[in-house]
Amino acid sequence: MLKRINNTTFANLRSLYLSANHRQQLEQDKAPKRMRDEVLLHPDYFRVHNLFTVKDLFDARVHFGHRDGSLDEKMLPYIYGSRLGHIIFDLDKTAEYLRTALNVTAQIAYRDGVILFFNRGAQHAYLVEKTAKECGEFAHTRFWRGGIFTNSTKQFGCVTRLPDLCIFLNTLNNVLIQHTAIRDSAKMLITTIGIVDSNCNPNLLTYPVPGNDDSPTSVELYCKLFKAAILRGKEKRKEHIEQNVY
Amino acid sequence: MAGSRLEKVGTIYSRTTGLIRSGAINWADRPLWYDVYEAFPPKEEPRFDRPAPNMTLKKIFYEEDKLRAMFHRNNKHLGSSNMFNNKYKSLTQKFIEAYRKLESENPEYTEEGLYKRAIEMLRRDKEVDNRSEEEVISLSEAFREATGNRSKEKPQIDLSTIFKE
Repeated sequence: MLKRINNTTFANLRSLYLSANHRQQLEQDKAPKRMRDEVLLHPDYFRVHNLFTVKDLFDARVHFGHRDGSLDEKMLPYIYGSRLGHIIFDLDKTAEYLRTALNVTAQIAYRDGVILFFNRGAQHAYLVEKTAKECGEFAHTRFWRGGIFTNSTKQFGCVTRLPDLCIFLNTLNNVLIQHTAIRDSAKMLITTIGIVDSNCNPNLLTYPVPGNDDSPTSVELYCKLFKAAILRGKEKRKEHIEQNVY
Repeated sequence: MAGSRLEKVGTIYSRTTGLIRSGAINWADRPLWYDVYEAFPPKEEPRFDRPAPNMTLKKIFYEEDKLRAMFHRNNKHLGSSNMFNNKYKSLTQKFIEAYRKLESENPEYTEEGLYKRAIEMLRRDKEVDNRSEEEVISLSEAFREATGNRSKEKPQIDLSTIFKE
Protein backbone atom coordinates (compact mmCIF):
# COMPACT_ATOMS: atom_id res chain seq x y z
CA MET A 1 0.00 0.00 0.00
CA LEU A 2 2.69 2.41 1.10
CA LYS A 3 4.74 1.45 -1.88
CA ARG A 4 1.89 2.21 -4.23
CA ILE A 5 1.38 5.66 -2.71
CA ASN A 6 5.05 6.36 -3.06
CA ASN A 7 4.93 5.28 -6.64
CA THR A 8 1.96 7.45 -7.45
CA THR A 9 3.42 10.53 -5.76
CA PHE A 10 6.62 9.96 -7.65
CA ALA A 11 4.68 9.70 -10.90
CA ASN A 12 2.82 12.91 -10.08
CA LEU A 13 6.02 14.75 -9.31
CA ARG A 14 7.53 13.46 -12.50
CA SER A 15 4.62 14.61 -14.62
CA LEU A 16 4.73 18.00 -12.87
CA TYR A 17 8.43 18.25 -13.60
CA LEU A 18 7.96 17.22 -17.22
CA SER A 19 5.14 19.68 -17.77
CA ALA A 20 7.28 22.46 -16.31
CA ASN A 21 10.05 21.48 -18.68
CA HIS A 22 7.58 21.38 -21.55
CA ARG A 23 6.28 24.86 -20.70
CA GLN A 24 9.83 26.15 -20.64
CA GLN A 25 10.39 24.70 -24.07
CA LEU A 26 7.17 26.23 -25.41
CA GLU A 27 8.24 29.63 -24.11
CA GLN A 28 11.53 29.18 -25.86
CA ASP A 29 9.72 28.35 -29.10
CA LYS A 30 7.76 31.58 -28.93
CA ALA A 31 10.90 33.70 -28.55
CA PRO A 32 12.60 34.93 -31.76
CA LYS A 33 15.08 32.45 -33.19
CA ARG A 34 18.62 32.81 -31.92
CA MET A 35 21.54 31.82 -34.12
CA ARG A 36 23.27 29.96 -31.27
CA ASP A 37 20.42 27.43 -31.33
CA GLU A 38 20.19 27.40 -35.11
CA VAL A 39 23.89 26.64 -35.41
CA LEU A 40 23.43 23.42 -33.46
CA LEU A 41 20.76 22.12 -35.84
CA HIS A 42 23.11 22.15 -38.81
CA PRO A 43 25.29 19.01 -39.01
CA ASP A 44 28.37 21.02 -40.01
CA TYR A 45 27.64 24.74 -39.75
CA PHE A 46 31.29 25.87 -39.81
CA ARG A 47 32.09 23.61 -42.78
CA VAL A 48 35.02 22.00 -41.01
CA HIS A 49 34.74 18.91 -43.23
CA ASN A 50 36.60 20.70 -46.04
CA LEU A 51 39.60 21.55 -43.86
CA PHE A 52 41.38 18.33 -44.76
CA THR A 53 41.18 15.19 -46.88
CA VAL A 54 42.20 11.62 -46.12
CA LYS A 55 45.16 12.15 -48.48
CA ASP A 56 46.35 15.02 -46.26
CA LEU A 57 46.22 12.70 -43.26
CA PHE A 58 48.20 10.09 -45.18
CA ASP A 59 50.82 12.63 -46.27
CA ALA A 60 51.16 13.82 -42.67
CA ARG A 61 51.82 10.19 -41.63
CA VAL A 62 48.82 10.04 -39.32
CA HIS A 63 48.33 6.34 -40.10
CA PHE A 64 51.52 5.17 -38.39
CA GLY A 65 51.00 3.67 -34.94
CA HIS A 66 53.49 2.11 -32.57
CA ARG A 67 54.75 -1.49 -32.62
CA ASP A 68 51.97 -3.99 -31.95
CA GLY A 69 53.53 -5.00 -28.61
CA SER A 70 52.52 -1.69 -27.02
CA LEU A 71 48.94 -1.82 -28.33
CA ASP A 72 46.12 -0.85 -25.97
CA GLU A 73 43.26 -3.24 -26.76
CA LYS A 74 40.69 -0.44 -26.46
CA MET A 75 42.15 1.04 -29.64
CA LEU A 76 41.33 -2.04 -31.74
CA PRO A 77 38.18 -0.65 -33.44
CA TYR A 78 40.16 2.29 -34.90
CA ILE A 79 42.97 0.17 -36.32
CA TYR A 80 43.21 -1.14 -39.87
CA GLY A 81 45.77 -3.80 -39.08
CA SER A 82 49.34 -4.66 -38.29
CA ARG A 83 51.85 -4.47 -41.13
CA LEU A 84 54.88 -6.59 -40.19
CA GLY A 85 54.54 -5.61 -36.53
CA HIS A 86 53.61 -1.95 -37.00
CA ILE A 87 50.10 -0.73 -36.25
CA ILE A 88 48.38 1.07 -39.12
CA PHE A 89 45.34 3.25 -38.37
CA ASP A 90 42.20 3.20 -40.48
CA LEU A 91 42.29 6.74 -41.87
CA ASP A 92 38.63 6.70 -42.91
CA LYS A 93 37.71 6.29 -39.25
CA THR A 94 40.30 8.85 -38.16
CA ALA A 95 38.80 11.36 -40.60
CA GLU A 96 35.31 10.76 -39.22
CA TYR A 97 36.39 11.24 -35.59
CA LEU A 98 38.57 14.22 -36.45
CA ARG A 99 35.69 15.95 -38.25
CA THR A 100 33.43 15.50 -35.22
CA ALA A 101 36.18 16.84 -32.97
CA LEU A 102 36.78 19.86 -35.22
CA ASN A 103 33.06 20.59 -35.37
CA VAL A 104 32.80 20.49 -31.57
CA THR A 105 35.86 22.75 -31.30
CA ALA A 106 34.31 25.28 -33.66
CA GLN A 107 30.98 25.12 -31.78
CA ILE A 108 32.65 25.76 -28.43
CA ALA A 109 34.75 28.59 -29.86
CA TYR A 110 31.51 30.04 -31.28
CA ARG A 111 29.97 29.95 -27.80
CA ASP A 112 33.01 31.80 -26.41
CA GLY A 113 34.33 28.79 -24.53
CA VAL A 114 37.81 28.73 -23.07
CA ILE A 115 39.96 26.22 -24.94
CA LEU A 116 43.14 24.76 -23.48
CA PHE A 117 45.75 22.90 -25.56
CA PHE A 118 47.87 20.22 -23.92
CA ASN A 119 51.04 18.57 -25.09
CA ARG A 120 53.84 16.93 -23.15
CA GLY A 121 57.11 16.55 -24.93
CA ALA A 122 59.61 19.31 -25.53
CA GLN A 123 59.76 18.71 -29.27
CA HIS A 124 56.31 20.13 -30.02
CA ALA A 125 55.90 22.44 -27.02
CA TYR A 126 56.75 25.63 -28.89
CA LEU A 127 54.52 24.76 -31.85
CA VAL A 128 51.53 24.07 -29.60
CA GLU A 129 52.04 27.22 -27.55
CA LYS A 130 52.36 29.28 -30.71
CA THR A 131 49.16 27.76 -32.13
CA ALA A 132 47.25 28.55 -28.96
CA LYS A 133 48.54 32.12 -28.99
CA GLU A 134 47.61 32.62 -32.63
CA CYS A 135 44.00 31.64 -32.08
CA GLY A 136 43.73 33.52 -28.78
CA GLU A 137 43.45 30.46 -26.56
CA PHE A 138 45.59 28.78 -23.94
CA ALA A 139 48.22 26.05 -23.78
CA HIS A 140 49.82 23.94 -21.07
CA THR A 141 52.89 22.05 -22.18
CA ARG A 142 54.82 21.72 -18.93
CA PHE A 143 54.73 19.46 -15.91
CA TRP A 144 51.17 19.21 -14.63
CA ARG A 145 51.02 20.17 -10.98
CA GLY A 146 48.12 18.25 -9.47
CA GLY A 147 45.11 20.26 -8.41
CA ILE A 148 45.19 22.98 -11.05
CA PHE A 149 41.62 22.01 -11.96
CA THR A 150 40.52 20.12 -8.86
CA ASN A 151 41.85 22.54 -6.26
CA SER A 152 41.75 25.75 -8.28
CA THR A 153 39.90 27.86 -5.70
CA LYS A 154 42.64 27.23 -3.12
CA GLN A 155 45.55 27.40 -5.56
CA PHE A 156 44.54 30.64 -7.24
CA GLY A 157 42.87 32.19 -4.23
CA CYS A 158 39.42 32.76 -5.72
CA VAL A 159 36.75 31.12 -7.88
CA THR A 160 38.42 30.32 -11.19
CA ARG A 161 36.86 29.80 -14.57
CA LEU A 162 38.07 26.44 -15.82
CA PRO A 163 38.38 25.70 -19.55
CA ASP A 164 35.34 24.44 -21.43
CA LEU A 165 37.32 22.25 -23.78
CA CYS A 166 40.71 20.59 -23.37
CA ILE A 167 42.52 19.51 -26.53
CA PHE A 168 45.24 16.93 -25.90
CA LEU A 169 47.70 16.69 -28.79
CA ASN A 170 49.13 13.72 -27.00
CA THR A 171 47.42 12.01 -24.11
CA LEU A 172 50.47 10.51 -22.45
CA ASN A 173 52.96 12.40 -20.32
CA ASN A 174 56.71 12.05 -20.61
CA VAL A 175 56.83 8.79 -18.65
CA LEU A 176 54.15 7.23 -20.87
CA ILE A 177 51.29 7.16 -18.39
CA GLN A 178 48.04 8.98 -19.02
CA HIS A 179 48.11 12.74 -18.48
CA THR A 180 46.54 13.57 -15.10
CA ALA A 181 44.61 16.44 -16.66
CA ILE A 182 42.44 13.92 -18.54
CA ARG A 183 41.21 12.45 -15.27
CA ASP A 184 40.91 15.91 -13.73
CA SER A 185 38.87 17.19 -16.70
CA ALA A 186 36.48 14.26 -16.31
CA LYS A 187 36.20 15.06 -12.61
CA MET A 188 35.49 18.74 -13.22
CA LEU A 189 32.97 18.05 -16.04
CA ILE A 190 35.07 19.45 -18.87
CA THR A 191 34.87 18.03 -22.39
CA THR A 192 38.10 16.64 -23.81
CA ILE A 193 39.41 16.03 -27.31
CA GLY A 194 42.52 13.87 -27.60
CA ILE A 195 44.75 12.42 -30.28
CA VAL A 196 45.10 8.80 -29.16
CA ASP A 197 47.97 6.75 -30.50
CA SER A 198 47.93 2.95 -30.50
CA ASN A 199 49.37 2.81 -26.96
CA CYS A 200 46.78 5.16 -25.37
CA ASN A 201 43.46 4.59 -23.63
CA PRO A 202 40.57 6.47 -25.30
CA ASN A 203 37.95 5.74 -22.63
CA LEU A 204 37.91 8.95 -20.59
CA LEU A 205 38.23 11.28 -23.59
CA THR A 206 34.92 12.69 -24.75
CA TYR A 207 35.96 12.95 -28.40
CA PRO A 208 38.96 10.71 -29.09
CA VAL A 209 40.75 10.99 -32.45
CA PRO A 210 42.84 7.93 -33.35
CA GLY A 211 46.13 8.82 -35.01
CA ASN A 212 49.88 9.25 -34.77
CA ASP A 213 50.82 11.76 -32.05
CA ASP A 214 54.60 11.62 -32.38
CA SER A 215 55.57 12.77 -35.89
CA PRO A 216 56.20 16.51 -36.27
CA THR A 217 54.23 16.55 -39.54
CA SER A 218 51.11 15.07 -37.96
CA VAL A 219 51.28 17.37 -34.91
CA GLU A 220 51.66 20.32 -37.29
CA LEU A 221 48.57 19.14 -39.19
CA TYR A 222 46.49 18.82 -36.00
CA CYS A 223 47.60 22.27 -34.85
CA LYS A 224 46.69 23.78 -38.22
CA LEU A 225 43.25 22.11 -38.25
CA PHE A 226 42.27 23.00 -34.68
CA LYS A 227 43.44 26.55 -35.18
CA ALA A 228 41.38 26.88 -38.36
CA ALA A 229 38.29 25.44 -36.63
CA ILE A 230 38.62 27.81 -33.66
CA LEU A 231 39.10 30.82 -35.91
CA ARG A 232 36.03 29.89 -37.97
CA GLY A 233 33.93 29.62 -34.83
CA LYS A 234 35.15 32.96 -33.51
CA GLU A 235 34.63 34.67 -36.84
CA LYS A 236 31.00 33.53 -37.02
CA ARG A 237 30.44 34.62 -33.43
CA LYS A 238 31.73 38.09 -34.21
CA GLU A 239 29.58 38.26 -37.35
CA HIS A 240 26.42 37.18 -35.53
CA ILE A 241 27.00 39.56 -32.62
CA GLU A 242 27.44 42.42 -35.08
CA GLN A 243 24.17 41.48 -36.79
CA ASN A 244 22.58 41.16 -33.35
CA VAL A 245 21.33 37.61 -33.96
CA TYR A 246 23.59 35.62 -31.60
CA MET B 1 29.48 25.28 -8.59
CA ALA B 2 28.12 21.90 -7.73
CA GLY B 3 29.91 19.02 -9.36
CA SER B 4 30.29 15.29 -9.29
CA ARG B 5 33.93 14.24 -9.14
CA LEU B 6 33.34 10.54 -9.59
CA GLU B 7 34.93 10.23 -13.00
CA LYS B 8 34.59 6.45 -12.95
CA VAL B 9 30.77 6.57 -12.78
CA GLY B 10 28.85 7.24 -16.00
CA THR B 11 29.94 10.01 -18.36
CA ILE B 12 30.37 13.75 -17.92
CA TYR B 13 27.02 14.17 -19.69
CA SER B 14 25.13 11.72 -17.48
CA ARG B 15 26.60 13.26 -14.31
CA THR B 16 25.72 16.79 -15.40
CA THR B 17 22.23 15.68 -16.40
CA GLY B 18 21.83 14.15 -12.93
CA LEU B 19 22.88 17.38 -11.27
CA ILE B 20 20.44 19.38 -13.40
CA ARG B 21 17.60 16.94 -12.71
CA SER B 22 18.23 16.97 -8.98
CA GLY B 23 18.31 20.75 -8.95
CA ALA B 24 21.94 21.08 -7.89
CA ILE B 25 22.61 23.07 -11.08
CA ASN B 26 20.06 25.41 -12.61
CA TRP B 27 19.18 24.81 -16.24
CA ALA B 28 20.46 28.29 -16.99
CA ASP B 29 23.82 27.56 -15.32
CA ARG B 30 24.51 24.35 -17.23
CA PRO B 31 28.02 23.98 -18.67
CA LEU B 32 28.72 25.66 -21.99
CA TRP B 33 29.40 22.37 -23.77
CA TYR B 34 26.12 20.76 -22.64
CA ASP B 35 24.05 21.78 -25.69
CA VAL B 36 26.92 20.99 -28.03
CA TYR B 37 27.21 17.51 -26.54
CA GLU B 38 23.48 16.94 -26.93
CA ALA B 39 23.56 18.05 -30.56
CA PHE B 40 26.76 16.14 -31.42
CA PRO B 41 27.14 13.21 -29.04
CA PRO B 42 30.37 11.23 -29.39
CA LYS B 43 30.13 7.92 -31.25
CA GLU B 44 30.99 5.93 -28.15
CA GLU B 45 30.05 6.96 -24.64
CA PRO B 46 33.17 8.25 -22.86
CA ARG B 47 32.79 5.86 -19.94
CA PHE B 48 35.77 4.95 -17.81
CA ASP B 49 34.72 1.28 -17.63
CA ARG B 50 34.00 0.75 -21.34
CA PRO B 51 35.42 -2.73 -21.98
CA ALA B 52 37.88 -3.46 -24.77
CA PRO B 53 36.02 -4.87 -27.79
CA ASN B 54 36.42 -8.53 -28.58
CA MET B 55 38.35 -8.10 -31.81
CA THR B 56 41.52 -9.58 -33.20
CA LEU B 57 44.28 -7.54 -34.76
CA LYS B 58 44.25 -8.11 -38.50
CA LYS B 59 47.58 -8.80 -40.19
CA ILE B 60 48.05 -6.75 -43.35
CA PHE B 61 49.44 -8.77 -46.24
CA TYR B 62 49.14 -8.29 -49.99
CA GLU B 63 49.27 -10.81 -52.79
CA GLU B 64 52.47 -9.35 -54.19
CA ASP B 65 54.27 -9.73 -50.83
CA LYS B 66 55.41 -13.16 -52.03
CA LEU B 67 57.12 -11.57 -55.03
CA ARG B 68 58.53 -8.81 -52.84
CA ALA B 69 60.02 -11.41 -50.48
CA MET B 70 61.47 -13.36 -53.39
CA PHE B 71 63.06 -10.24 -54.88
CA HIS B 72 64.60 -9.13 -51.59
CA ARG B 73 65.78 -12.63 -50.63
CA ASN B 74 67.84 -12.84 -53.81
CA ASN B 75 69.02 -9.21 -53.87
CA LYS B 76 70.34 -8.18 -50.48
CA HIS B 77 72.07 -4.96 -51.48
CA LEU B 78 69.51 -2.83 -53.25
CA GLY B 79 70.51 0.48 -51.72
CA SER B 80 68.18 2.92 -50.00
CA SER B 81 65.06 4.52 -51.43
CA ASN B 82 63.19 7.64 -50.37
CA MET B 83 59.82 6.61 -48.98
CA PHE B 84 58.36 10.13 -49.16
CA ASN B 85 58.93 10.28 -52.89
CA ASN B 86 55.72 9.28 -54.65
CA LYS B 87 56.87 10.45 -58.08
CA TYR B 88 59.06 7.53 -59.08
CA LYS B 89 58.48 3.84 -58.67
CA SER B 90 60.89 1.91 -56.49
CA LEU B 91 62.95 -0.94 -57.86
CA THR B 92 60.71 -3.48 -56.11
CA GLN B 93 57.59 -1.95 -57.66
CA LYS B 94 59.22 -2.07 -61.10
CA PHE B 95 60.13 -5.72 -60.54
CA ILE B 96 56.59 -6.62 -59.50
CA GLU B 97 55.18 -4.87 -62.56
CA ALA B 98 57.58 -6.66 -64.87
CA TYR B 99 56.79 -10.00 -63.23
CA ARG B 100 53.03 -9.48 -63.49
CA LYS B 101 53.34 -8.45 -67.13
CA LEU B 102 55.37 -11.53 -67.98
CA GLU B 103 53.00 -13.75 -66.02
CA SER B 104 49.96 -12.51 -67.92
CA GLU B 105 51.74 -12.86 -71.29
CA ASN B 106 53.26 -16.30 -70.67
CA PRO B 107 51.19 -18.32 -68.25
CA GLU B 108 53.20 -21.48 -69.02
CA TYR B 109 56.42 -20.21 -67.32
CA THR B 110 57.45 -21.46 -63.89
CA GLU B 111 58.05 -19.13 -60.97
CA GLU B 112 61.80 -19.33 -61.40
CA GLY B 113 61.67 -18.66 -65.12
CA LEU B 114 59.41 -15.66 -64.59
CA TYR B 115 61.76 -14.32 -61.93
CA LYS B 116 64.82 -14.63 -64.16
CA ARG B 117 63.09 -13.01 -67.10
CA ALA B 118 61.77 -10.17 -64.97
CA ILE B 119 65.25 -9.47 -63.63
CA GLU B 120 66.58 -9.52 -67.18
CA MET B 121 63.86 -7.07 -68.21
CA LEU B 122 64.82 -4.73 -65.36
CA ARG B 123 68.46 -4.91 -66.37
CA ARG B 124 67.61 -4.13 -69.99
CA ASP B 125 65.50 -1.15 -68.94
CA LYS B 126 68.33 0.08 -66.78
CA GLU B 127 70.80 -0.17 -69.67
CA VAL B 128 68.44 1.77 -71.91
CA ASP B 129 68.17 4.42 -69.18
CA ASN B 130 71.92 4.55 -68.77
CA ARG B 131 72.52 4.86 -72.50
CA SER B 132 70.11 7.74 -72.76
CA GLU B 133 72.01 9.55 -69.98
CA GLU B 134 75.41 8.79 -71.44
CA GLU B 135 76.47 12.40 -71.83
CA VAL B 136 75.64 13.23 -68.25
CA ILE B 137 78.51 12.49 -65.88
CA SER B 138 76.94 10.18 -63.35
CA LEU B 139 78.63 9.59 -60.02
CA SER B 140 77.37 6.03 -59.77
CA GLU B 141 78.60 5.30 -63.29
CA ALA B 142 82.05 6.68 -62.47
CA PHE B 143 82.17 4.62 -59.31
CA ARG B 144 81.16 1.47 -61.16
CA GLU B 145 83.83 2.07 -63.75
CA ALA B 146 86.49 2.66 -61.12
CA THR B 147 85.61 -0.52 -59.22
CA GLY B 148 85.66 -2.46 -62.50
CA ASN B 149 89.15 -1.16 -63.30
CA ARG B 150 90.38 -1.95 -59.82
CA SER B 151 89.34 -5.60 -60.05
CA LYS B 152 91.15 -5.86 -63.39
CA GLU B 153 94.33 -4.37 -62.04
CA LYS B 154 94.39 -6.60 -58.99
CA PRO B 155 97.92 -8.02 -58.65
CA GLN B 156 98.18 -11.75 -58.43
CA ILE B 157 99.44 -12.50 -54.93
CA ASP B 158 100.01 -16.02 -53.70
CA LEU B 159 100.20 -16.23 -49.92
CA SER B 160 102.47 -19.22 -49.97
CA THR B 161 105.11 -17.40 -52.00
CA ILE B 162 104.89 -14.03 -50.30
CA PHE B 163 108.02 -14.39 -48.08
CA LYS B 164 110.17 -16.06 -50.71
CA GLU B 165 113.07 -14.28 -52.44
